[in-house]
Amino acid sequence: MRGANILQARILRGLILLSCGVIVIELFVLQILKHDHYKGQSLQNRQVQLRVKPPRGRILDREGCVLADNVYIADITLPCASLADDGPDSTLTKLISWFDMPVDETLERLGEQKSAGRPRLTLMANADMPQLAAVEERRRELPGARVETRARRRYTESALFAHIIGYVGEVRADEVGDDDDHTAYRPGDTVGREGLEAAWEDVLRGEPGLFLKEVNAVGRVVGQRDVPLRPVIPGRDVTLSLSRSLQDSLSIAMADRPGAAIAVSLPTGEVLAAISNPAYDPNLFVTGISSRQWQALLDDPRHPFLNRLVQATYPPGSPYKIVTSLAGLEAKVVGKWTHYDPCYGAYQFGNRAFRCWKRSGHGDLDHVGGFTYSCDVFYYQLGLRLELEQLGEMARLLGFGRTVGSPFPGEVSGNIPDTKWYDDHYGAGRWTRGVMLNNAIGQGEILVTPLQMVVMTARVALNDRDLTPTFQILDEPSTPHPVRSLPIADENLDWLRDAMTRVIDMGTGTRARLDAIEVAGKTGTAENPHGEDHAWFVCFAPTSAPVVAFVAILEHGGHGGAVAAPVAARWLSAFFEWRARLGGEA
Amino acid sequence: MRMDWFPRTPSGAILLWTFAALCLYSLATLWSVTEGIRGPYEMSDSGIAKSVFWRQVIWIGIGWVALLVAMRTSLQFFEEAAPLLYLVAVLLLALVLMVAPEVAGARRWFVLGPFRMQPSEPAKVALVLVLARLFSSYVSRQRQLLPVIASLLLAALPMALVLREPDLGTSLVYVALWLGAVFWFGLSWVFILSVGSPLLSAIFNFYSESVIHQAWPWGAYLLVLMAGLTVARFRLLESFLLVLANIAAGVGVSFFWDGLKPYQQERILTFFDPTRDQFGTGYQAIQSKVAIGSGGLFGTEYLQGTQKGLAFLPERHTDFIFSVVGEELGFIGAILLIALYMIIVLKGLEIASKARKSFSSLVAVGVTVYFAFHVIVNIAITTGLLPVTGLPLPIMSYGGSNLVVSAFMLGLLVNIGSRTFES
Repeated sequence: MRGANILQARILRGLILLSCGVIVIELFVLQILKHDHYKGQSLQNRQVQLRVKPPRGRILDREGCVLADNVYIADITLPCASLADDGPDSTLTKLISWFDMPVDETLERLGEQKSAGRPRLTLMANADMPQLAAVEERRRELPGARVETRARRRYTESALFAHIIGYVGEVRADEVGDDDDHTAYRPGDTVGREGLEAAWEDVLRGEPGLFLKEVNAVGRVVGQRDVPLRPVIPGRDVTLSLSRSLQDSLSIAMADRPGAAIAVSLPTGEVLAAISNPAYDPNLFVTGISSRQWQALLDDPRHPFLNRLVQATYPPGSPYKIVTSLAGLEAKVVGKWTHYDPCYGAYQFGNRAFRCWKRSGHGDLDHVGGFTYSCDVFYYQLGLRLELEQLGEMARLLGFGRTVGSPFPGEVSGNIPDTKWYDDHYGAGRWTRGVMLNNAIGQGEILVTPLQMVVMTARVALNDRDLTPTFQILDEPSTPHPVRSLPIADENLDWLRDAMTRVIDMGTGTRARLDAIEVAGKTGTAENPHGEDHAWFVCFAPTSAPVVAFVAILEHGGHGGAVAAPVAARWLSAFFEWRARLGGEA
Repeated sequence: MRMDWFPRTPSGAILLWTFAALCLYSLATLWSVTEGIRGPYEMSDSGIAKSVFWRQVIWIGIGWVALLVAMRTSLQFFEEAAPLLYLVAVLLLALVLMVAPEVAGARRWFVLGPFRMQPSEPAKVALVLVLARLFSSYVSRQRQLLPVIASLLLAALPMALVLREPDLGTSLVYVALWLGAVFWFGLSWVFILSVGSPLLSAIFNFYSESVIHQAWPWGAYLLVLMAGLTVARFRLLESFLLVLANIAAGVGVSFFWDGLKPYQQERILTFFDPTRDQFGTGYQAIQSKVAIGSGGLFGTEYLQGTQKGLAFLPERHTDFIFSVVGEELGFIGAILLIALYMIIVLKGLEIASKARKSFSSLVAVGVTVYFAFHVIVNIAITTGLLPVTGLPLPIMSYGGSNLVVSAFMLGLLVNIGSRTFES
């Protein structure tokens, strides 16, 4: 064959060299021209950026008791892809049968997690030791399954601080931030949902850190050390001004009746205890609440999620007579001992009789007596002598008609109606001075929150026009600013304090009397369109040098003097014992 | 001491030195692969046992023996024994389908204690020898059809058996060996057209139907073919039959496609669109390119490749060993390796064209095509130029059957070369 195959040999050699050339060119492209790109790819392969969640700051009471902290629990998790694999040997099927979980329910729950954009699915949250051991021991049979620890919020006092502390939940899809920003929220992150957890989110959350880890092809970390890109900044602990023991006393005094109560330390304005009933257990939201439980809470006619301290408004009733009296004294339309027409149980205005709460009538009373026995007829006559704006101005001065500025989400401002408000709602000229009768006794269109009530009480007790309740004790107390007095004559405030003391001594509030401490207060029985009257009681003590202001409202509770005043008495005695234990501070 | 086994011809000596160099290259690379990674890493476990290296040392020893046997045995013997060897090879291929245990969905290996034997590898030698015997007995080239058809049947039998294993890569080697032999035997343009154009038609039809789902490429191809036949003044009947064969091939490929295993279909489709499968065969292709590309001009240094060391590169001790060379030794190392193979291929071609006997020449071409096809296709796969299919890099890849067969093939080449130049 020699010589005969020269053509074929040439063609074959040509073909081989051509292919070889193509390969060499491709190698040149990959290794020389695109080297940087592939070098980067190789680095990306093995370097994984790991975001480390910061531990959330704890919430403590003023004595250092832990109210909210983190416990570390282990979850059994699966990759999202495992949901698609439902073969008999799949990891998911095995685990469901090992742990005897309800199949349909579990699959539905995992499906929800997947659609929420979670990077991994939590098959079993807070798994116990035997379950964890089962997964760890049989790792090889369970590709994809992993045991992951995470911090979970724990509310040590359950429902006691529910409306104050609130609760945390998982971020929603619309809150998840940009992937490039490691500090932004990611699916699965925790965020404060209600109460101070939500209000102080920025402080409590801290800042996630970013680490570079070297991994092998199956994702196992092989690098000897992580390269920190951004440090983890833990969330800061927060100390509440509230006291666990005082909160407990208040809860007992309220005895689960719907309503709200709040106590403020004077002169600091620090809230010592605050209750909104009924409450709920915030732990339900971190351990996972079933949709049935959730719906039951939502449908509860007593509205356990309503933070009555700031989100509910009530007619103030008789404690508003504090506003009316001060407005009258300042406008000089009434004197300290002025007598009006006697009370025969009702007051005739136009063609309508306005009744006093005491049907038999109070008879002849002066201003102090009218306040002490809460005579409506006296205040109808005082109201008629006042302008709407004069009353409204005093109300706003004492904190009504606008939000107090509490940290809670959804605080409402209530309503202090003025001329414009009546014009808007009834039409100009279609309402009469008759509204003053209702306004004077805190009924009609006036609406207030319990927090506003305690602000009023504290402001008149201290003669401090700026006093605002705070819920936190700061590490470095702010430098005390000079106290601005109320633009009210001292003699008028003295008169009020005296009158409020008489309420307890001989008037409607005798059931709030304490043995050793002089209390100044005012009862209220607020009519409302929803049923039985609301029982109000506001007070401060001791009268001469107030250290605490207190407000309680019991929804549809009846007479303030009979129902709300005893709550105050019970809590105040606990408070003064507590105070004595501390040696007089706070 | 007289080295009586060492070839006295320059081409034979070069081939043996090249083989030795490739053996060392293979051992060095396998050492690195089984070493895992050095440097600031907690573990150096590569996932591939050190025993792989030591077994390859043993296989290389056996390979040298096979090479010497092939070198020293008379070619006459091979020519006479070719049909028998072919028969034994085919029987083994049939046997492996019946008795071999299933490994990863395939029946390819006889298991003998610690060693595994892949009968599709010696079948390559048998096919080269039997085709050489067949074509060398037809001195006259006037009657082409009979030997070509006979050779087609001889090649198709092992091909069909290997496809049943299934092993697409190896069956393509048989196709290449057959094409090489037929090509060397010499063919008329009519014949090339009548075999080649249906093949092209099949490829175009596949591309139209299964990849882009549009009819125009195949249609355009048929129009160009008919225009070409008209311009070249082919006879009407021949043109008609040719077009008919083209259409039949096009339709036939659809049936062939349906007969492929899903993973085979997926591999081919993934080649046309690697993003189809980023974690399966697409993953292999991507990781291999990353390994080679990250090597750069000089590589990451021996033992330092992270694609290799951290196990991102699959099959790094077998089919994708070239990627390890590319990563750790860079462009320089890769070119050096290709150059070593080119020495074998170009020497083989030279020996084939100078061989005095027709049989020897055909065997030499078979060996050349064997190395050229394996090396070019394997490297093309690792660099992403061809779809991923299982095909080892001869001598370099871990695996005894392929190493012994490659050594034996090389021995045949040295044998033919020495006789060519001797007298």
